[in-house]
Order: sequence, then structure tokens, then C-alpha cells
Amino acid sequence: MAGIRDTVGKNKSRRPQVSRRQILVGATAAGGLAIAWSLWPRDYQPNLTAAPDEHIFNAFLKIGDDGHISAIVPQCEMGQGVTTLLPQIMADELGADWRTIAVETAPISPLYANTLLVDEDSAVFTPRAGVPDFVSEVRSWARREWAVRNAVMLTANSSSVRMFEGPCRAAAAQARALLMMAAADRWDADWQACDTQDGFVLHGKQRLRFGEVAAAAALLDPPAEPVYRASSADPLYGKELTRLDLPAKIDGSANYAGDIRLPDMVFAAIRQGPLGATRLKTIDRKRGMASPGLLHVVTHDRWVATVARNWWAANGALDRFAPVFETAGIPISSDSIDAALKAALKDDGYRIASEGDVGEAMDGRTRIAAEYAVAPALHAAVETRTATAAPDRDGLRLWVATQAPAQCRDAVARATGLAPANVTLFPMMAGGSFDACLDHSVAVQAGIIALQVKRPVQLAWSRAEEIMRLPPRAPARAKLTATLNAAGGIDALVTRIAVPATNHEVRARLFDNQPADEAQRAATGRADAAAVEGAMPRYAIPHHAVDHCPADIGLPTGRWRGNADSYTAFFTECFIDEMAARAGSDALSYRMAMLGDAPLLARCLLTATSLGGWEGGLAGSAQGLACHAMRGSHIALMATARQSDKGLQVEQLVAVVDAGRLVNPAIARQQVEGGLIFGLAAAVGATTDYEGGLATARKLGQLGLPRLSQTPRILVEFVESDREPGGLGEIGVPVVAPAIANAMFAATGRRIRRIPLSAHPL
Amino acid sequence: MTRFSVNDRPVEYRMDPETPLLWALRDASNLTGTKYGCGTGDCGACTVDIDGEAIRSCLVTIAECEGRFVTTIEGLSRDRSHPVQQAWVAEQVPQCGFCQSGMIMSAAALLRANSNPSDAEVDAAMTGICRCGTYPRIRTAIRLAGRVIRGEERIAAAPPPGIRPEDAARAVPALRPPRGS
Repeated sequence: MAGIRDTVGKNKSRRPQVSRRQILVGATAAGGLAIAWSLWPRDYQPNLTAAPDEHIFNAFLKIGDDGHISAIVPQCEMGQGVTTLLPQIMADELGADWRTIAVETAPISPLYANTLLVDEDSAVFTPRAGVPDFVSEVRSWARREWAVRNAVMLTANSSSVRMFEGPCRAAAAQARALLMMAAADRWDADWQACDTQDGFVLHGKQRLRFGEVAAAAALLDPPAEPVYRASSADPLYGKELTRLDLPAKIDGSANYAGDIRLPDMVFAAIRQGPLGATRLKTIDRKRGMASPGLLHVVTHDRWVATVARNWWAANGALDRFAPVFETAGIPISSDSIDAALKAALKDDGYRIASEGDVGEAMDGRTRIAAEYAVAPALHAAVETRTATAAPDRDGLRLWVATQAPAQCRDAVARATGLAPANVTLFPMMAGGSFDACLDHSVAVQAGIIALQVKRPVQLAWSRAEEIMRLPPRAPARAKLTATLNAAGGIDALVTRIAVPATNHEVRARLFDNQPADEAQRAATGRADAAAVEGAMPRYAIPHHAVDHCPADIGLPTGRWRGNADSYTAFFTECFIDEMAARAGSDALSYRMAMLGDAPLLARCLLTATSLGGWEGGLAGSAQGLACHAMRGSHIALMATARQSDKGLQVEQLVAVVDAGRLVNPAIARQQVEGGLIFGLAAAVGATTDYEGGLATARKLGQLGLPRLSQTPRILVEFVESDREPGGLGEIGVPVVAPAIANAMFAATGRRIRRIPLSAHPL
Repeated sequence: MTRFSVNDRPVEYRMDPETPLLWALRDASNLTGTKYGCGTGDCGACTVDIDGEAIRSCLVTIAECEGRFVTTIEGLSRDRSHPVQQAWVAEQVPQCGFCQSGMIMSAAALLRANSNPSDAEVDAAMTGICRCGTYPRIRTAIRLAGRVIRGEERIAAAPPPGIRPEDAARAVPALRPPRGS
């Protein structure tokens, strides 16, 4: 390890040229951060541990004497394949044999901060107000510094490959250089004349296994800048390599947070009160304590937990304790949520983005408007929120799936009064997530319970608890208003969206540990650009604007696969379809006429309609289109759907995606296919009503999630591209609902302006 | 009485006889491959094989299992060699993997009774919920596993667990044989 300077994760090209004086000015303007700067260490060292025969090369790679390569993955594996994708990038650059690659999850460290994500979500992560423009560059630099210092290792926004391809490749290049230097020493050769392939360092006819030189290599000083491997004749990058997590996922040996087993461990179940400012009022202690198998009951301000020798006994005891909660204010209901959205839509709101001059363009012209509504969307991952916690001398050990490990650890530390250093977090795979693992309540609760009962505890939320307590993606309501040109094309478009300022809520919960109801109240009335993301159309519309009308719906909301794009694409793509029909125009050519400035999207649309056999959008064709771009990726979807006596029948989905170059086409296809099915679920269900401050659904079977028999034929094609990789986790989701709604119009002549689509038309 | 066979071993659970089999398997036997997703029979993640039938283990009590033969994902094969497991890797079915034990147990029970099921029979047997959306590959993998069971095709997609380092080094030149071998 001696002398290894780790520059991974500190991509110099991203750091703007600023003088010390500018930094101080910017820092003070951005909120008095100046003092801390000089005190903070700038060169972070990897905090990995190594086995006796293993050598740490940098924050992303260890190599063993036996030749195994441990790739360190700083993102949460929740099915998206990140524990294959990042190792695949590293193995490719190293010149490794894929069969020698092992995976470890990264410890919490500033070296793994997801600076890309905080850049993209700048409005969320740092307040904009009051900061003069001249320090804008400094602010973005400061934002990244903040992310690094706080080890903001977020897994979100389809950003894993986009963020970490560069650092992973650089780390691998660095390790490769060291291996070649060590081998060249043995051969008395020039290391730059060496190469690597299949886990060997090569020089002419000489070859040495990585494992044979790893120990010596790890002691050397790497070149100051990474020296990249010339392109290989048989690159691992772009191959459909088998996911590394598959063997463990077919024999039951893959461990999730609920599969941890510790000596003396007991099982806990929990009940939390209605949404809002809830307080536990009473429990029937006498009857509850008589529950069979009950060991402990733990009460807290906002919840009651039971502990038993198995989870079923613990969960059953909760009923006998018959907890009564007291909730301040008027309990929310679906009606009150809808009323709040309608009211917000009538308010002024904030203009988030605009081009041209919509005011002038619309003045005195005939306006055409339509309103759309979208229900809250549940994550409904098959794994409910689960955490295992064990007291450990002065602290806690914690096993949990989290998309923000440092913030999860800090939340547990704060709630238990422990120092963060005394909380050891073991990041687990998630059984689905869809952003559910940004919620840390279960880890906090498990920590509190374990310290109280003084033994290892595994807490799993029941399905009902998860439906009721996990903040869903926000419901939204939108009004789109357009004026048309003589040919029926759109001249001006205003998209007004009433939706809570979700991202302010998420930020307050995630970084300030604010309870959900307080975060919800504090966020009311605030502008949230990320809550209307994706609403600025890619179409060439001369004048357009997007407004956020923050709605106080009383229901805490959260992030979710696809986030705002999942409703903004519905609004835009349905409205465009309506305008096309109004102009008597084919929905494809109407779109194509406005996609001159979006050639990638246009190409996806043309290919999808050609593959799917677009019939020109004739009435009765049952075909519908939608297209969308987000996170550097583009998608067009052609859906075939009709109304039958069994209800809405989606027969086929044909998607064409341009996501830049693909690390692993098989995993890319999984992500899009899975995203389409997730989008399908959200189009027809994955929601609940609310009554008396609670979700009315209690069971998974009430959510209308599609099963195999309800899965349409799906065709996914990728456009070949050498662009930088785009995000793939979410791109499949937003287009499904609008494409089906448009297909339903073609089939029935009736517009559905509401999600879920099966509900009454708006 | 709560005495029955789990993965070919006799077991007696000293638990409330009304305990669902799922929790006896998970919390008493530590057979954690069988998952909890809902407790109401909706998701199918807890599906196990009882006397040849795919059954939601959250809906059956240990009293009802008396004298029966229960097989969990851990007991389907000792070395991932079951055709369904092999087909699952060949078709890269799992994503998050959480529902897959149940899917695999359902598919194995289906194919044991009928190695060449129609699409409708697959639809009727595969009623679990997968939120990652692996359904299209599940359908393909079941067809592949059926062909393997019928002897029409062979696959070796998933490696067995516990490969010895010296065997690994023989197969993979980049690995060094352990000292003394």
C-alpha cells in the first residue's frame, strides 16, 4: 500500500479552474462553508480490508496471490446488474479473465461519492436562492465537494454506469500499469512495452499471471495519469457476460438483509400509526404480553415493535397489543389529495423553464387545453423493508439494503445516540427497490430495538406496513394548454403540473433525518425543478414553458423508478397525440415533423414503428405511440392494446432504445424489458386509495400488479451507438402509460387522461 | 404434531402448530432461500414443493405438513444441477432475485408433472409476482428446461458450488494452483 496515491473519483477535468479567493467568496455566498475547507483532508485513502494473500491496488481493486480479482462496487445491487457491469468495465481495462472476477461491496468512503447525481439534482441538493450567478461554477464545485465529504454514495437516477465507468476504468488502468511495472522489473524490460490479456502480463513471449506479480505491484507508485489499454481484439466490454450474481440467485444462497442469521438473534415486527404527526397513545400491554412466543415489546413515540423467536409470532402479537395512535390534524384521504392537487393547479406556481415567449404567442389566440391526473405509485418491491441489527460492544452492526449507506449509518447513529464510527453498516443486496431503499426508517428502528433488547434483532416490515408507510411516488395533476399554427402544429405549449415538492422532502428525510410528516410540511410551497423533470418537450415547439405548482397533499412522497418523468411523459405524450388527432394527422408523422432537433429520438420512433408495423394510427388499429428521453437515453414505444370483456388488454410492446454504447447488452435488455413491465404495472395499478390517514390497500394482491399471464409480447431493440452510456434503469418506465392510453384511443375513440388507465376517464 | 420431512431430513418443530411453514423454514431451520413477500399467497416468493405440488408456504401451517415431504430451493439439487436452475442461468432470468426461489420451485413442479407444458399451462402454473419484470425470460427458460428434461438438449450454465482451488486453476490459466498441489 505504501506510496499509493489514490486519484480515483477525483476526475480532474471535472474540477473547474478557480482561485482560492474565488472559492472563499463562493463558499461564503453558498452558506458559510469557508472555514471547513482548509481543515478537510483532500487525499482520501481507500478504507478497504484485505485478506492475508490479497493486495489493495486502489479503492476499486484488490488482487490476490492466487490471481482472483476483487472488484469493489460502490452501488446497491437491486437487480439492475451493477455488480456485473462495473466489474465488467474493470476486467475489460485490466485485461483480466472474467472467470477470476469476484465482487465486494464498497465500504463507506468519500472516494465513492456519486458526484454526477448531485450535479444533475443540483436544485435538490443545494439551495439556489440568493447565490449570484458569478459563482455558479464554484457552486457546482462546492456541491461536488459536499457530496464527497459526506460520502454521498447514492444509487439512483440510472447513474451507476454514467458515474462510475470513468473512475472504474481509471482504477483498472492504474492497477494494470502497476502489474506491468512489477512484471517488467522481473524481466528487466520497459513496462510501457508490456500488455495484458486474460489475466496475464505479456511481453514478447514472456508472460506472468497477475497473481504472480500482485504483491510486488501493489507496493509501486502508479503513473500520475492513468495509461489506458489499447483496444483489445476481444474486449469484455459490450459482451453479454453472465451476471455474477446468478448462481447464488438460483439456489437460495443469495443473502438479503432478512437472511442474516446471528447467534441469539430474535425477530421483530412493527406497527406504525397513520400518516401525519402520529404518536403512539396506548397499547393493551396485559393482553399483548400473553402472546405466545413473545419475548419483548418495544415502544417508541411513533411505533410499537414486538420481538419473538420467529417473525410470525412477533407479527401476530402486534394485534394483541392493539396499539392506538393519535394523529394531529385532518387525516388525509384520496379526496383531500385530489382537492389539494386541483387547488395547487389554480395557484400561480413557479415557472421552472421556458423558451420563446408563451405569453405573447398565446395572446388573443384560440387555446386548446386538457387536464390529466396521475395516482400515487407504490414501489411494491417483493422484499419488504428489512434490517438486521446487532449490538457490538460500544456500537451497532447493521445489515440493510440501502441506496445511501453513509446517510443510513448517520441516521441510525443519530437516533441511537451512537457515534457514526460506532455504527458498522454491511450493505446488502435489495430484493427490488425502485428507490424504496432510500428510506432508512427500518434500519433506524432495528437499531433502536436491538439496543433496547440487547441482542441481535431482525426487523421486517409486513406487507401491509410497507404499503401504508413507505412514501409513494407523488400523485400529480397537470393542465396542458396549446395554441396551434395554421397547419395544426403546436406553436406554443404551457405545461402546468401540480405535484408536491417531493425532492425537498426526500432531501430533508435523507440528510437531516426529518420525520416524513415534518419534511412534508416543510416542503410545501417550494419550487422543485426535479418534480417536473422531463416536462420540457424534445419537440420543436417555438414557445413553451413548464410550471411547477407545489401541492400540499399531506401525504409524504418519495423517489421511485422513473421519478417525475413517469408522469411528465404521460402528460406530454398523451397531449401530443390529442393534438395530432385534432389536426387529422398520423401520430407518427405529427411527431416526426417536430423532431428535427432530436434525431436520436426520431430514429428510435421510426425504427419502433417499422418493427411494430405501424398502420398509420387509423381508428380501430389499437396502436399507440410514445417517446421520451431521460438520463442520456432515448426510447420510442409502440403499444398494441384494446378493451375486451376482461378489461384493458395490452397485447404487444415494441421498444427501440438509444442508450449509447452498452456495457452488457443482455443486462441492458433486462433493464428496458423490466422497465416496460414496471411501467405497465404503474399504468394499470401499483397504487392505493387513502382514507382516514391510511392507505386502503393492505395486500399485494390488491395492487393489480401484472403476472406472467398478463405480460404482453415484448420486443426490445437497441440502436447501435458509440455515444457515452446513457441510463437504462428508468428509461423503459415513462413511455408505457401514454403509449397504451394512445392505443386505447385508437381502439375505442375514447381518451383516458388518468393513471391508472383502467379507472374512470377524466 | 409437527413432524415431517424437509429436504429429505426428518424434522420436528417445537413451535406453535399454527405457525406457517414459511416461518418454520426461515426462522427455525434457517432455510432462508424461501422468501417472505406478502404472507397472503399473492407474491409466490415462498413457494416450496410439498409432495410434488408447488405450494405457498405462507398459507400452510406446520400442523398441516405432518408426515409430508417438503422440498425447498436449497433441496432442489445439491449442486445447481436441476434443469430449471441451469435454464434459469442460461437465459439469465434473475434480476434482483428475490422472487426467483419461488418461481424456480413453481417451474420445477410444473415440469415434473408435464415436461412440455403449453403457454396456457405455464400461465396457470406461474402465478408469482416479479417486480423486476423477468416474466419473458421465465417463459423461455421453462421451455429450455423442458427440452433438457425431455432429453432433447443439454446445458451447463451454472457452475456447482464449492469448486476446489486446484480444479479452478486447472480450468482457468490465469489462476495459480495453490501451494503444495
